[in-house]
Amino acid sequence: MRFFSELAKGIVKDNPIFVLVLGMCPTLAVSTSVKNGLGMGMAATFVLICSNIIISLIKGVTPPKIRIPVYIVVIAAFVTIIDMAMAAYAAELHKSLGLFIPLIVVNCIILGRAEAFASKNNALNSLADAVGMGAGFTLALVVVATIREILGNGTWLDIRVLPQAYDPMLIAILAPGAFITLGFLMALINIIKGRK
Amino acid sequence: MMYYAKLGFILLIFCAVAAGILAYVNGLTAPVISQRKELEETQTRQQLIPNSDFTLMSSADSSFSFYKAIDKSSGTTNGYAFISEGTGYSSRIKTMVGVDTLFQVLAIKIIDQAETPGLGAKCQDQAYFDMYAGLSETDLFVDKDGGKIKSITGATITTRAVTNSIREQIAILKKALIAGGDK
Amino acid sequence: MGYLGQIFVMAMTAIFIQNFVLSRFLGLCPYLGVSKKLDSAFGMGMAVIFVMTLASAFTFLIRRYLLIPYNLEYLQTISFILTIAALVQFVEMVIQKNAPALYKSLGVYLPLITTNCAVLGVAILNTKAFHADGITPYNFLDSTLNGLLSGVGFTVVLLAMAGIRERLEFSELPKSMKGMPIALILAGIMALAFYGWMGFKI
Repeated sequence: MRFFSELAKGIVKDNPIFVLVLGMCPTLAVSTSVKNGLGMGMAATFVLICSNIIISLIKGVTPPKIRIPVYIVVIAAFVTIIDMAMAAYAAELHKSLGLFIPLIVVNCIILGRAEAFASKNNALNSLADAVGMGAGFTLALVVVATIREILGNGTWLDIRVLPQAYDPMLIAILAPGAFITLGFLMALINIIKGRK
Repeated sequence: MMYYAKLGFILLIFCAVAAGILAYVNGLTAPVISQRKELEETQTRQQLIPNSDFTLMSSADSSFSFYKAIDKSSGTTNGYAFISEGTGYSSRIKTMVGVDTLFQVLAIKIIDQAETPGLGAKCQDQAYFDMYAGLSETDLFVDKDGGKIKSITGATITTRAVTNSIREQIAILKKALIAGGDK
Repeated sequence: MGYLGQIFVMAMTAIFIQNFVLSRFLGLCPYLGVSKKLDSAFGMGMAVIFVMTLASAFTFLIRRYLLIPYNLEYLQTISFILTIAALVQFVEMVIQKNAPALYKSLGVYLPLITTNCAVLGVAILNTKAFHADGITPYNFLDSTLNGLLSGVGFTVVLLAMAGIRERLEFSELPKSMKGMPIALILAGIMALAFYGWMGFKI
C-alpha cells in the first residue's frame, strides 16, 4: 500500500517542521493561538495538495530548465485563490493571518515537495504525499500553538482551560516565546529519538 | 536561440492560464468581499448609534466622508459616525467612531487591526472601547500626553495611534460640518 | 521632521524595533540554516541586502505602473514572486560574468534567496507601509530604502547569531539540545533583548 505509506511518512517520520525543519516562518509567526495555527495549517495544506497534483500532472510538458518558475506560478496561483476565498468567507481568520497568507508562496515545504516528490511521482502518490505533509505541518502548528495559547492566554481554541486567577505568561505569545517553545519541543523530540 | 524562445513561450502560457483562472476567481470573490465589508460597517454603525437611520455625507472637498445618524422615531439628529485610521505597531488600525451632536464620543469599535496578539491586540476588548465613551476632543489624549485614555501596553504605540486618529478625525468632522453649514 | 529624520526613523524601525527576523518572523530559514559560520553568514547577508533592495524597487514599479492602473491587484503575489525569481536569476548571471570573485563567495546563496520570505515580505509590506504621520504612503525612494534597511536588519541579527553559534561549538551542551534546539532558544533570547528597543514591559 504505497498510498498509505506516503501519507503516513509526513505526519511522523518526515514531519516537515520537527524533522525536516522547513517552513519555520509561518510556524513561529501564526502559532499565537490554536485557531490561527489550524487556519494556517489548512490553508497551506490546500495549496500543497493542489500544487502537488497539478505539478505531478504537468511534469511531462514542463521543460526541466524552467521547472522552478513554472512551479512558482502554479503555487502562487493557488495561494492567491485561497487568499481571496478566505477574505470572502473567513474574514476574521484572513485578518489575523495577514501577511502570512501570501507568504505561503515561499513556504519551503511546498516548493520542496514539488521539487523532491511531485515532479517525480504520479498524481495519486503526490496527493498522498501532500495530505501527509500538510497534516504533519498542521499537527506541528497546533502543538506549538497549544503550548503558547495555554501558557500565554490561559485558553485553548478560545476556551478557558486555566482558572481566571492564572496570570498569563505573556511572553509565550510574543516572539521570544515562539522561539523558545519550539526549541524545547525539538530538544524533547531529540530525547525521544535518542531512546529508540 | 529558438530553444530559449520556446522556453519563454511555455512559461508565458503557464502565466496566462494562471492569470485567467485568478481573474475568474477574483470575479467571484470580489463582490462577496465588498458586500461583507459593507454589511459589517452598517452593523457596526447601528451598534455605535442605535435606533438611527444613516445618510452618507462628505466634506465640501469630498476628502472625508461620514454618516449622519437620524433618530428613527423622532427624526432629530443623534450624531455622526465615521472611520478613523492610524498606524499602530505593526498595522493600520481602523476605528469606527460614533459621536453625538456635541462631538462627544458615544462609542467606538476597532474594525481592522493586526497588532501583536496579547499586547496591542487588546485594543479589541470591550473594556478598551468603554474608556472612550463620553470623552470630547480635549480629553482624547493618552494619559502620558495628559489625557484620559489609559495605555494598554508599556510602549503606548497602539493606544496612542487609536486615540490620536480619533481626535484628529473629530476636528476634521467639526470643520466639515461648519463649512457645510449643517449643525 | 525633515527627510533625514524620516530616514533615521525608518532605519531604527527596520533594524531594531521591528527587526525582520526577530519581530516579524521573516527570513527564518536562512537565519537558522546559514548561521553556523561567520563568513558564510556575511555572504548570505550581503546577497540578501542586494536582492531585497532591488526587489523593493522593482515590485514598487510593477505595482504602481502595471497592477494598479489596470486593476490587476489580485495578481500581486504571483507577479511579485516571479519578479523576485527573475531578479535573482539575473543578478546571479551578472555577478557570474562581471565579478567572478564575488560570485564565488555569494553564488551559492543566491538561488536560496528566491524562497527567502523576507524578500517577498518586504515587497508586500512596502505596499501597505505609511510614514510616521500615518497619511503618506511610501513612494519609490522610501520603498527602496526600506528594502535596503530591512536587509541590513536581517544581516545584523544573522551575523550576531553566527558569532554566538561559532563559540557554541566549543561549549558542552546536553546531547538533545545540540543544533537546532539551542539555536532556537538563542533566537528567543535575542528576540527578548530586541524587545527592549520598543520599551515593552513584560
